[in-house]
Amino acid sequence: MKYFNRRGFIRTGLTSAAGIAALSPAMLSASALQQQDILYRTLGRTGMKVPVISFGVMRSDNPNLCKAAYEKGIRLFDTANGYQNGNNETMLGNLLNNYPRNSFFLATKVKPVGTDKDGKPTDQTTAEDFLTKFDASMSRLKLDYVDILYVHDIRNPEMLEYKPIMNAVKKLKKDGRIKFIGFSTHANEPLVINAAADLDTFDVILTSFNFKQAYKDELKSAVNKASKAGIGIVAMKTLAGGGFLDKEKTKPINSSAAIKWVLANPDITTTIPGMTDFDQLDLNVKLLTDITLTDAERNDLIVASAETGLYCTGCTKCLQSCPKNLPIPDLMRAYMYAYGYSNPGMAYFLLSELGTNDNPCMDCTTCYVDCTKKFNIREKISDISRLVNVPADFLA
Amino acid sequence: MKKNIFVVLLLILFSGTIIAQDLTMPELAGYKKSMNYPVFGPENLWDFINGAADNYLSYGFLNLHVAEYKKGKNVIKLEIYRHADDVMAFGIYSTERSPSFTYKNLGAQGYVADGAINFFKGNYYVKIRTYSKNEKNLQASESLALKVSNMLSGDPKMPVILSQFPESGKKINEETYINESVLGHKFLNKAFKAAYEIGSDNFSIFIINNNTPEETIRTVEAYLKSAGLEEVGAGSGKYMFTDGYNGTIFLAWKDTQIIIISGLSKDQSEVADTYTSEILE
Repeated sequence: MKYFNRRGFIRTGLTSAAGIAALSPAMLSASALQQQDILYRTLGRTGMKVPVISFGVMRSDNPNLCKAAYEKGIRLFDTANGYQNGNNETMLGNLLNNYPRNSFFLATKVKPVGTDKDGKPTDQTTAEDFLTKFDASMSRLKLDYVDILYVHDIRNPEMLEYKPIMNAVKKLKKDGRIKFIGFSTHANEPLVINAAADLDTFDVILTSFNFKQAYKDELKSAVNKASKAGIGIVAMKTLAGGGFLDKEKTKPINSSAAIKWVLANPDITTTIPGMTDFDQLDLNVKLLTDITLTDAERNDLIVASAETGLYCTGCTKCLQSCPKNLPIPDLMRAYMYAYGYSNPGMAYFLLSELGTNDNPCMDCTTCYVDCTKKFNIREKISDISRLVNVPADFLA
Repeated sequence: MKKNIFVVLLLILFSGTIIAQDLTMPELAGYKKSMNYPVFGPENLWDFINGAADNYLSYGFLNLHVAEYKKGKNVIKLEIYRHADDVMAFGIYSTERSPSFTYKNLGAQGYVADGAINFFKGNYYVKIRTYSKNEKNLQASESLALKVSNMLSGDPKMPVILSQFPESGKKINEETYINESVLGHKFLNKAFKAAYEIGSDNFSIFIINNNTPEETIRTVEAYLKSAGLEEVGAGSGKYMFTDGYNGTIFLAWKDTQIIIISGLSKDQSEVADTYTSEILE
């Protein structure tokens, strides 16, 4: 039986011999010249020299994408114990075992369990569970050591000094199973980073850092303090979450500009953009050798920054100024569900969960809430809260 | 004011996406239920699961309800993720399962691993975790899982398309659904994938179902074009070529379906032919 037609075989030959430049021009960019021009920075006291672009592997299920990243000069790969329930580490482990151990850096994260909703440890937060997860990670990664182990998702300074976990990671470092201790933070970052800078536990901090953050000046200051204390800083969420300014994905963020903005800060050593396709990889590979922010890119960021949209950033600063202690970020979310997603049903049920009435601002003659996004909080709360009077059946 | 009321009423009357699916989390005998978490949406899922959120978002995540059950020091956490449809729920479930887990008859499929019970049913992906490993607490987790499985509406079946994958050499419980960027290519989306092992050969088969034959041709052309090939046959065809990133690719299509095989070498076209023929014919 004739299988793949003869013409296909012939063309395959052509592709292999002559068509590779047209086929994958980016592959050629992994030339020796590019490798020489890659911008490296030193990650604080670790002394690790890493390219300014690293790889947030979290969503990638394709080892060939990671392989291409390695071949193009990316050296730090970032995963976590929980990503894809461990499958992400397995994929990465299978791939990285093909390369000399001293030719790449591997960072993974383990999240202490049992923290409360404010990120404080509880009696459920045990070293035993943490170390079991770490052992599972090492088994999946098939490595003798990881370069950075992040204690994942620290949002409360209390956690930074929680002895069961901190003693456990210090022992891992002493035993040579990890080279450096770090933590990741995505909430209350300035507070947590400032506190960490006063300790001598941490070598690296992985923090969200982007041009859209309402508290970016505060964060820059904290990052500067940590950097001066010798802590290496790695930036994540550099695209402000998702790479688009709107849920409908009609307004893309200029990703190169956003990453360049982050790297313009000398306290940031490297970034870990998530990549799932070769186009994204090629775009980011260009940044390995050039992070100069052009005027056009600067303008794109100005426009994007001005895009208020319907999204509350959840900075929670409003909570301090509302005399009625209303759950303003949640109410803003309800507003977004109704007007942004055209889904009043979702808004209704969120309001039901919150238990707020149909006019929570009724007793206030003046609103003292100063929203960092300059939302008219009172107007939005009054508007959305009336939805609780709509019979649930109407929303079904 | 009137304008705002009008807008809300308009939304209520004309929104095609209204879903009044309030989830009432079940009670668990002997445990105190608490609902201290908000209902998470796409914009704040990060606050709950950090970097893993992106993966969920890529599978049409809609919302997440969380409840905690406490009995003394024992805590069980229940998370119910709602996705856009059944395939998306299978997709996110499949990225987090491993063949090494202990599989259970829960929902469409579920498993137990290290104090965690995960399953999917319809467009829901359910995760139950406990930090205490005492036997009674683990049994309570399983009991909760059964309750939730019975409570949730939706089809308790695996995606029908999985039955199209040939059985010979197929690795059990390794099928996945990839919603975006199959094999790292932006033009390849919405593929079911199965892993195979025959002797020392390991390869993957991808099945993409398109809505129309025209869509199939467009996708095939995009792939062939990326490999330097331009001409495409009509309603069906078979090609072998080198994908600069993924190596040798066997590509076959017929009507609305595309089959891609990756991992076989160029001299294994007969193996590829056997599998593609079984799927397409």
